[in-house]
Amino acid sequence: MAPDQTTAAPVPLLSVRDLHVRFPTERGTVNAVNGVSFDLYEGKTLAIVGESGSGKSVTAKTLMNLLPRSALVSGEVTYAGQDVRALAATGTKHFFGVQMTMVFQDPMTSLNPVKRVGEQIAETLRYHLGRSRGEALEEAENLLEAVGMPEPARRVSQYPHELSGGLRQRVVIAMALACQPRLLIADEPTTAVDVTVQKHLLDLLDELRRDRGMAMILITHDLGVAHGRADDVAVMYAGRIVETADARTLFVDMRHPYTEALLRSIPRIDDPVHHRLDPIPGRPPELISPPDACAFAPRCLYAQADCLDGVPELSGLVGLHRFACLHPTGTERGEAAATANRAAGVTVAGLPVTGDPGGAG
Amino acid sequence: MARFLIRRLVLLVAVLFAVTFLGFSAMNFLGDPLFNVVGLMAELDCEAIEAGSAEDPSLDRARSDCETVAEARATYHLDRPVPVRYLLWVGDMVTGDFGTSFQNDQPVAEIIREKLPETLILLVMAQIVSLGVAIPWGVVAAYRANRAFDRGSTVASFGLLSVPNFALGVVLLYLLSLRWQIFPSAYESDSVVGLVFSMVLPALTLGLPLAASYQRLLRTDLITTLQEDFVHMARAKGLPPMRIMFRHALRPSLFSVVTVFGVSTGAMIGGSLVVEQIFGIPGIGREIVTAVVRDDFPVVLAIVMLVACTFVIINFMVDLFYSWLDPRVRAR
Repeated sequence: MAPDQTTAAPVPLLSVRDLHVRFPTERGTVNAVNGVSFDLYEGKTLAIVGESGSGKSVTAKTLMNLLPRSALVSGEVTYAGQDVRALAATGTKHFFGVQMTMVFQDPMTSLNPVKRVGEQIAETLRYHLGRSRGEALEEAENLLEAVGMPEPARRVSQYPHELSGGLRQRVVIAMALACQPRLLIADEPTTAVDVTVQKHLLDLLDELRRDRGMAMILITHDLGVAHGRADDVAVMYAGRIVETADARTLFVDMRHPYTEALLRSIPRIDDPVHHRLDPIPGRPPELISPPDACAFAPRCLYAQADCLDGVPELSGLVGLHRFACLHPTGTERGEAAATANRAAGVTVAGLPVTGDPGGAG
Repeated sequence: MARFLIRRLVLLVAVLFAVTFLGFSAMNFLGDPLFNVVGLMAELDCEAIEAGSAEDPSLDRARSDCETVAEARATYHLDRPVPVRYLLWVGDMVTGDFGTSFQNDQPVAEIIREKLPETLILLVMAQIVSLGVAIPWGVVAAYRANRAFDRGSTVASFGLLSVPNFALGVVLLYLLSLRWQIFPSAYESDSVVGLVFSMVLPALTLGLPLAASYQRLLRTDLITTLQEDFVHMARAKGLPPMRIMFRHALRPSLFSVVTVFGVSTGAMIGGSLVVEQIFGIPGIGREIVTAVVRDDFPVVLAIVMLVACTFVIINFMVDLFYSWLDPRVRAR
């Protein structure tokens, strides 16, 4: 499975194979992640895209060993040849936070409200790298400067509540970068901040990643965020990767109807004014005892009888353009399915089809 | 900060007025203060005696009794209406005159100076026991929430909470003093070490039920805090669990415990009445029981005021502690 032509190392930095996560609840077992596999190479960015409930955040938390104890996890997670789940189980010191770390969605809640910002950054340096308090605080100030924090010298002694959301997220990023991790997992890092701040933060993350040669997993529900920042994109739905490819291929030559629908749901700047938004019909799938069928079928304009008969396999090899669809968009089979549904006015799963379902975006 | 202090001070004064006025009125209306001072002499009909024949020798004694009564009336201002007496009493208080006991004419200030240290040592030791037990207990229970240890401690803490003080005291006495002879069974005041040592059992008796309630509160708050994003963040930073517990989760989880700590001070003083009786500690608790029984109201009022002061001051300190716990309180 040779991935790229030029610089990629032969061994991936992070390799995930057949990851399953289940949560036993009173209502039944939630199948949050169902067989996710991917590779991430040194210095690359993988975007994991999906709606809420698609399993993207659970995947990230599994990688970081942040799931509640009740979660049932199976599968392999390998970081630079080491079994991450074994490292977590034995409580190996100086792995999480040093090799691999994470930035959370909501900067309003991911900082400790009762500790000074500088201390929170310095803490990691002191614990992992054995810095003295003074050295660590000094480094914290430098880190704040590196993430574009205005007046870093003053900020170190402030409390989180004295900072705006955008600034807090910069603190979180500085905190994550403190020990120069080789892998950063960013879980919707800009969802909770103002739109005007989003682009700044994303560009900052991208810049820092490039400067430091860090690999990144960027988790987002917004394909637009992934665009231009990710080397590879994995689209998740109902706990499965339904399509994955390098970013260019995915954006111009997607195969899965869900990817297509996600892209179409992004409002575009060149849309006419008062243009109707293009939402994806229906609701995210049930994760407790899901039917043995394509999970997207009830919302898919291409759905055919065979879609309801077994979960489609993700085609191809890890590292190539893979998709789990029997009637992929942009192919003859897909076209035929769409045409047939349009003619019938309804899909096999009962979704009414009106107007133009769109062949290619 | 200055405004905060002033507001607190005003509150303290208001509470003291309310408490002492209520206490003062109750003591005056429930019993006849004159009777408490002079006993049956209070029943004498002095006006009739005065009006009686000057030659009647049988009245001489009665006359001298009547003088005693009049003297007592003057000393304790008993010839004035209750509100005036209250104000006079307040005036004495402000000038540092706490009055004298009806029982033995001992100055009240002296009684308090004598008995207060014992009770203070007991209360402080009991709070040390309660927090010292509750914090590690709550932390471990929350860390392994709903596991065997946590379930066991739920049972244990409800047990401790439902046992009355005196019963717990007797059990502790039996086990730790009579059976295993670790601690003395009664009050000792020969040396400071001996005193503290003899206070261990009373402090446990008073502190353990409180520890149980603090533990319940801390456990619940910690479990909530441990689900906060910043705790996940701390885990993602790779910090070990106990460090996260003590450096990140504990402080924001202390609010309920600290609040109840303040409020329970009052209850604790009440509890010390019983405990001082069981262990024979000559403290304020025992003193107030005696004073109430004998309607010795200068003593009762002084102690009531002392308790009210302590209560307000401790809760004031609790408020200050909030702002140390959470900087966001300071901003308000």
